[in-house]
Parts: sequence; C-alpha cells; structure tokens
Amino acid sequence: MSGQGVWLRTRARLRRFPELLAGCGEQAAAYGRCVAAASAGSAELRRDACAEEFRALKDCFARAAKTAVK
Amino acid sequence: MVAAAVAGAAGALGGAAAVGGWAVRALGGAAAPGGGAARAPRLWGWGWGGSSRRLWVPSGQAAAAASPPDPSGALSPFDRQLKRKQKNWAALQPEPAKCDYLREEVGGRVADRVFDITRAFPLALDVGSGRGYIAQHLTKETVEKLIQVDIAENALKNAMETEIPTVSVVADEEFLPFKEDTFDLVVSSLSLHWVNDLPRAFREIHQVLKPDGVFIGAMFGGDTLYELRCSLQLAELEREGGFSPHVSPFTAVSDLGHLLSRAGFNTLTVDTDEIQVNYPGLFEVMEDLQGMGESNCSWNRKPLLHRETILAAAAIYQGKTSPEGFCNSFTWRSGKNKWTSFKKKKIVVHQKQ
Repeated sequence: MSGQGVWLRTRARLRRFPELLAGCGEQAAAYGRCVAAASAGSAELRRDACAEEFRALKDCFARAAKTAVK
Repeated sequence: MVAAAVAGAAGALGGAAAVGGWAVRALGGAAAPGGGAARAPRLWGWGWGGSSRRLWVPSGQAAAAASPPDPSGALSPFDRQLKRKQKNWAALQPEPAKCDYLREEVGGRVADRVFDITRAFPLALDVGSGRGYIAQHLTKETVEKLIQVDIAENALKNAMETEIPTVSVVADEEFLPFKEDTFDLVVSSLSLHWVNDLPRAFREIHQVLKPDGVFIGAMFGGDTLYELRCSLQLAELEREGGFSPHVSPFTAVSDLGHLLSRAGFNTLTVDTDEIQVNYPGLFEVMEDLQGMGESNCSWNRKPLLHRETILAAAAIYQGKTSPEGFCNSFTWRSGKNKWTSFKKKKIVVHQKQ
C-alpha cells in the first residue's frame, strides 16, 4: 500500500457503514432471522443459505451509499 | 457473577506481537519520590533484540526468537511485535481516554482488591500497565514504590498521574528483567491474554515475587466478545463457506486455577466478573477494540475481511441480541477472571464473596 491516503480513505469509508446500515434495518433483520433459522439446532449453515435476503440487504446498502454520496 | 452495565460509546478490536527476546535495562538509579509534584519523575528502559530496533547485531537467542514461529502457531500464537505496534498506535490516538473505560473499571477493581489486603507493600510491580490504570487508585500508604512494565512505550509516556513514585520499564511480560524475590506485590490488569506462553509468564511472576508476596490479576476469559465471534463466524460461513478465527481464544476459569498452582502459587482465589457493555453495532465494537489496542495479532489471523462478510456480520450482530421491534442495542459480554494468590502458604486466605 502506498502512502497514508489509502488508509485514511478506507477508514473514512468504513466509518460510514453504520449510518448506511441504519437505513436498512428491515433487510438486516430479515437476513439475521434467516441465518438464525438456518443455524438453529443441529442444522449446519451452508454457503449462500440466505442468499436472497443478503442480496436484498446488499442492494439496499448500495442504494443508501449512492444517495449519501450525492 | 456480578453484572455491571457500563455505558460505552463505541466498540473495540483486538491485536498481536512477536516473540522477541526483550532484554531491558532500566536507566540509572531509582526515581526520586514525587512528593507534591504533579507528575512523579520517571526513568525509561529500552529494549533491544527486536527487528524494529536493531542497534547492534542481536544475540543468538534474540535472533532465533525473532524469526516467525512454527507454522502451527502452537507455541507462540501471537505476534508480539505487532501487538507492540498496535498498542503504541492506540496510545497515540488524539483522545486516548475515549476507549479506556473498560481498563479503568477493571483497574479500579484490582486496586480495590489490593486495599482489601491489609498490608503495606514496599515494592510493587504492574505487569502490562498501559497508562497506569491501577496506579491511579492506589495510595502511598499501601504501595510505597511501583514499577510499571509495558510493551508499548507510548502508553507509559502518556501515563496517568499517581501519587506513588513510579519507574517505567519497557519490557515483554514473558521476559521480566528483574531478579528473583524482589517484589512484595505484583498486579496485572487485562494484558496477559496476549501472552504467548502463559505458564511461563506465571512462573516468571512467581520468581520475582518474594516469599509471602501477593499476585493480584485480572484478565479476559471465557465468553468475552461472544457475540462478535459468533456473528463473524456465522457470516463467514454463510457468505464464504468456511471461517477462520478472528477473536483470539481466552483462558477458561478452571485452566487459570491449574496454571497458577502449577506455577507455584498457594491460596488461590479465582472469581469471575461479568461486565456488559452495550454498543450500537458491530463497527462500534471493532472501532473501540482497535482504540484499546486490542486488535487481533495472531499469526494465523486472516488479513482480509470482505465487505460482504462485514455487512452480513453486522446484520447478524444486530439480530443476536436486540429484542424484536426494539431500538438497536447490542451487548458485548466480557467475562473477566480475577484472582488473588499468595506465594508461600503463610497468610490466612482472604475470603471473597
């Protein structure tokens, strides 16, 4: 990594995560519920077990990021 | 189990350091007592042998120890050099007191235990002292002179004021540069969980203690950061199909008792305090951990955490502890083990609730 600028920009981006996530509470809750259900009891959590919920969450997050930048 | 709610603003992370043979020599003679001065004068030691400070060719032992450990990481799971860098970085933050709430709370509790023992200690040692969280609560009547040892010099430089005359020494907790039978009291607060060889550290502490000396310590144990670990694990399983450890393992209470008695301590008392700190979300937890200098420093840590995994983990973390329909509030359970032990069996054991 060259210079300090990369880290500062990365950290600034990361710091925006919580506020962006706050706008997607529904999708986050749905995803959390899906994961909890998939890993409950003796069930083993497999890859992409909750892919749709995560896609919804990611889309909401990306939209929030785009609108926030503007 | 005592649960105390501490209102915390932000979250925190953990980190690591290398197994260099740190040999330290304290400068000159003892520090003069501070008396009425605001800051007691401090003397500094410096270390050699690590790759970051190569003033001359390191000795054989240091050179061998400075190389990366065996691939399994069984003998030395933590990178002490990195831990030193992380602690130095954390100590240089603009507001070092922002993330210190946990250490201050625990430091106060350890100091309470010192007061519980109705004895005066002429010479005491604080292993992994950081900014001196225990010392600020102690009085000159209880401890006449204190030596603070920490691996990060910046933390010692920003040390908090205390009325006890202090000497600061930069040294690794596993390689204490003191003669045996020197100290009447050794205290340690929240720093032994990053030690590579804990049995050895306990043996060293036992060695530098006088017969009838007391060792009072507190370290993270058991279920600490349980929610964080679970969220990251589940998120990685779901998103990537496998997981790697992100939170370092902590010592269990039963193991602690065995380790202490194997090191030679008698009359042990080990108990657990649970401190619950609430955070708005995963990022705040990780930010605060980083601010505390507790970022992960295991050799086997995964250097990369995908954005999607972080997002998934944050969502799972939210779901783990908040009741349905309630405002966001997530808990970070910290089980701490505290113990008091005497070196030789001579004093009546101090009963604790």
